[in-house]
Amino acid sequence: MPLTREDVAGIADYARIALTPEELDEMTAYMNDAVALLDPIRQYDLEGVEPTFHPIGDLSNVMTDDVPDDEVRHLPVDVALENAGASRDRSFRVPSILGDQGGDR
Amino acid sequence: MKKLAEVLKDWEAVIGLEVHTELTTLETKMFCNCRLSHDDPPNTNVCPVCLGMPGALPVPNEKAIESIVMAGLATNCQIMRHSMFYRKHYFYPDMAKNFQTTQGPVAFCMHGHLDLEVSGAGAKERPDATVEKDADGGYVAPIRILRIHMEEDAAKMVHVGGEEGRITAATESLIDYNRCGTPLIELVTEPDLRTPEEARLFMEKLRQTFLTLGISDCSLESGSMRCDGNISLRRRGATEFGTKTEMKNINSFKSLHDALEYEICRQAEVLEEGGIVYQETRHWEPSRRRTVVMRVKETADDYRLFPDPDLAPFDLTDEFIDRCRARIPELPDAKRDRYVADYGLKRADAAQLAGDPKVAAFFEEALEGVGEKVVGTLANVMVNLVPSYDALTVGQVRGIAGLLAEDALTFAQAREVLDAINGTDEDAVAYVDAHGMRQSTDEGALGAIVDEVLGRCADQVQQYRDGNKKVLGFLVGQCMKAAKGSGNPKAFNKMLAEKLEG
Amino acid sequence: MAANFDQLSAREIAAGVANGDFTAVEVARAALDAVEARDGEVKAFLQVSADLALAAAEATDRARAAGERLGPLAGVPVAFKDNMHLVGTRTTCASRMLENYESTFTATCVQRLLDAGATPVGKTNMDEFAFGSSTESSAFHPTANPWDVARVPGGSSGGSAAAVAAGEVTVSLGSDTGGSIRQPASLCGVVGLKPTYGAVSRYGVVAFGSSLDQVGPFGRRVEDVALAMNALTAGGRDPWDSTSQPVACDFAAHLDDPIEGRRVGVVPALMEAAGLTDEVRDAVSAAARALADQGAELVEVDLPNIASAIAAYYVIAPCEAFSNLARFDGVRYGYQEPGQATLAEQTSLSRAHGFGEEAKRRQMLGAYLLSSGVYDTYYYPAQQVRTLITADYARAYEKCDVILMPAAPRTAFKFGELSDPTQMYASDMFTISNNIAGNGGVSVPLGLGAATGLPVSAQLQGPAFADARLLTFARAIERSFSPDGGAPVAPAFAGKGGELA
Repeated sequence: MPLTREDVAGIADYARIALTPEELDEMTAYMNDAVALLDPIRQYDLEGVEPTFHPIGDLSNVMTDDVPDDEVRHLPVDVALENAGASRDRSFRVPSILGDQGGDR
Repeated sequence: MKKLAEVLKDWEAVIGLEVHTELTTLETKMFCNCRLSHDDPPNTNVCPVCLGMPGALPVPNEKAIESIVMAGLATNCQIMRHSMFYRKHYFYPDMAKNFQTTQGPVAFCMHGHLDLEVSGAGAKERPDATVEKDADGGYVAPIRILRIHMEEDAAKMVHVGGEEGRITAATESLIDYNRCGTPLIELVTEPDLRTPEEARLFMEKLRQTFLTLGISDCSLESGSMRCDGNISLRRRGATEFGTKTEMKNINSFKSLHDALEYEICRQAEVLEEGGIVYQETRHWEPSRRRTVVMRVKETADDYRLFPDPDLAPFDLTDEFIDRCRARIPELPDAKRDRYVADYGLKRADAAQLAGDPKVAAFFEEALEGVGEKVVGTLANVMVNLVPSYDALTVGQVRGIAGLLAEDALTFAQAREVLDAINGTDEDAVAYVDAHGMRQSTDEGALGAIVDEVLGRCADQVQQYRDGNKKVLGFLVGQCMKAAKGSGNPKAFNKMLAEKLEG
Repeated sequence: MAANFDQLSAREIAAGVANGDFTAVEVARAALDAVEARDGEVKAFLQVSADLALAAAEATDRARAAGERLGPLAGVPVAFKDNMHLVGTRTTCASRMLENYESTFTATCVQRLLDAGATPVGKTNMDEFAFGSSTESSAFHPTANPWDVARVPGGSSGGSAAAVAAGEVTVSLGSDTGGSIRQPASLCGVVGLKPTYGAVSRYGVVAFGSSLDQVGPFGRRVEDVALAMNALTAGGRDPWDSTSQPVACDFAAHLDDPIEGRRVGVVPALMEAAGLTDEVRDAVSAAARALADQGAELVEVDLPNIASAIAAYYVIAPCEAFSNLARFDGVRYGYQEPGQATLAEQTSLSRAHGFGEEAKRRQMLGAYLLSSGVYDTYYYPAQQVRTLITADYARAYEKCDVILMPAAPRTAFKFGELSDPTQMYASDMFTISNNIAGNGGVSVPLGLGAATGLPVSAQLQGPAFADARLLTFARAIERSFSPDGGAPVAPAFAGKGGELA
């Protein structure tokens, strides 16, 4: 079943991408074209096939020591904030979050 | 609203907890080498990784993985050899990448349990006959743990403007990423808890366990240990679950108990009036002693979970798990049983001492070189006196216990002494002697006083012999006065009784 | 000694600097001069880092004067795709979103080239956030193919390929998620290696598809690429990239090993693939004959699931892209829509106006494919198909040492020629499967196509961590097809500026 304009509007809302009505039309057409391209995936019988989420062979258990790094990667607060669109004192600033609770945590 | 006891006669409360614990005793964050923050100025401990800068990549902290495996072993979980980190997406700037790195269907630790010993007044909250109660009404509640998974904490946001603390009225928010990326373990119980007291005890036991493991400072006040409660009601005898609400902002054991108590009573009232309990998140307001709606969940959140391609999977080896197991110290239950068996302590006292690793260590140090007869007194001092002081030394406590054990001091005097020497390096025995507080139990010395008092209190002696035994207290008081406080009241009591009966 | 730096190999430049034939500063000035003279037309660069280049070159010259041992890339002019951080430059990913983003740290791959003595000339153009195969989706300007400036250089690492093809730098770095090194290398007639996943650190490279992305070098000679690989891997695995693995080999040491008796796999079905032009097929067939002439044995191998690689890729890559690009919300960095009263509006408009069309399309597709229910229909099965494709390759490599195939189905196309996004996706039909499997692949120039007169390349693919072997076979092709020892600088630009003073 093709994605409707409303479906795509819902996804855009979730993905925090504002779309104009024209963009929404174009996006809906694209999404349906793109999903059609993926059809070969649905044609497989994949019973018993393990997925490969990480193309890294047997590599596992990669960890680092619990040792502080105060020098090499640490960012002084002015550098941390230098690319921010808005900041105040030592903090990043955002406008009113107005009911936006960012999910259930 | 009806009272809890009333409600729980008709309704069964089904409670599950989600407990987040920051691994505050580590040096560094979960996926980078920034220091963990303890009251540092905003954005002091940040790097490209925990700020979610483009191009930064995560590497897991080995000690955090060891810590969660220890937590799993200590709560009787199965340690999953194979697991992965997942990305959980939601757009909110307290998570620098707009996803949280957490675990998927398989967590490091699965399917554990903790057994709660519920006793005293708290046990009365549970009226149902499904648990076996002992003579004092106490019972054991086995609580299953669904999982413990590893994740990262979010940044702190301060909401500015509008009414104090009210998020919705704020005109702007400031973000401090110091906490972002702090190693966090989330424990999820099965919905096995049935009363607010059980929930409180579960949290307390979990806290004691994690403190003993040394993986966190477990502070509910500062938020290094946080608890959300899921709660629903069903009619006694029903098997289907009711609609649950989720409780947030629980920052003390009392809040946990009171919020659940309130919510049980609230839901019962709604249901009994024919209303509907909505699936919603509610916020506990301790000052007003009520929960209020934070957010109604119309549809399940879709977090677009998928395995994090930047993090290699885990295949924990027996060697790794054994190494974690070897690092687990004696846990509170085992310690409690040992105190009971080795020192003959009362189970409740033993549990209190064993529950806090600092207290237990202090107790065990104080025990060194102490005679068998003093052990019970020492435990008594640890349970009843020491918690009121903040800076007693092991030697001072040992000294007080010795004095009490040989009846050289009353309990009231012991408090007086501790008030004076707390925070100093003064020896308890030296202080008592210097202030002439030591009480004599020498019958020779005290005998003269007893004879003198009996001699001048003929009326009271007569009253005693006529059957008014209470008058003995007056006579002890007279002896104490005559001895100017240096005689032991127990000794006077004994000697007076002997003479009057004889 | 050659008068123009664009005629020198990386080894010749490093040796010349070490011997005192010329200074690193002279080479840097020559490269900057070439960029000045050529890039007005090529537009390969988004930023030229003249100060950093001269400072690095001066440091190299001082080190020589102090008698220090110089690095293997001493004085070699290099360029970096603009998704790689280098402190002192902006890292824009060719996006409005990051137009003003100052690098707060330097990527491991960049640092390793600098540690080897390279001179950083600048940051190169790309498809926005690496989404594309033509570099046309750059928010700033298109880049021209140096062989025909009316045509695209390929992409997404089109700027890095064009800068090398135009002789503006000797070596450049690109990143390859579905072919973004090998396809532009093919269209620009240069060597481009996508190493095995994990061979080169991704730390500091703005992610597109985390399980697919791999950084690799471009050069006009196989040897230049080998020296760059040595520099990229010599430091061992990167402790800051969990998926990084050690590569203990000298890529330059075995370039001229004989290939006699070694087996080159050919996949007949791929040579008949729809969309593959005759000139490319014929050129690849000629490459197969050339390898056979050098004693290699040609064997037929089958990759039965490779036709599904594009579908698997367009599930996995958009999902990872959606996730990786979620962080661009205009709060900590990036374009921030001004004057918004609420966070929700600020975020949605910052992303709407900061990202270009293709970046939005990919994220939307990913957000859809990861949603509950859909995940089980597409994402999980796509990762299972990935297992099948990986197994296909493993079986094939039991029968051969490397597989030979086209790198791109056709030569460079004109600007605007492929306007439909899903049609553009077919540009990577020969390269994508290698990213799915995580294996290495290299594009090697075969001269100019018989029909279009534009560069044509072969692609060699190999098993995981056999990238040095790939370069041995690439060098064998180079011996046959590039009698001068390497691919030429595009004639329209060769010798324009770049004189070594």
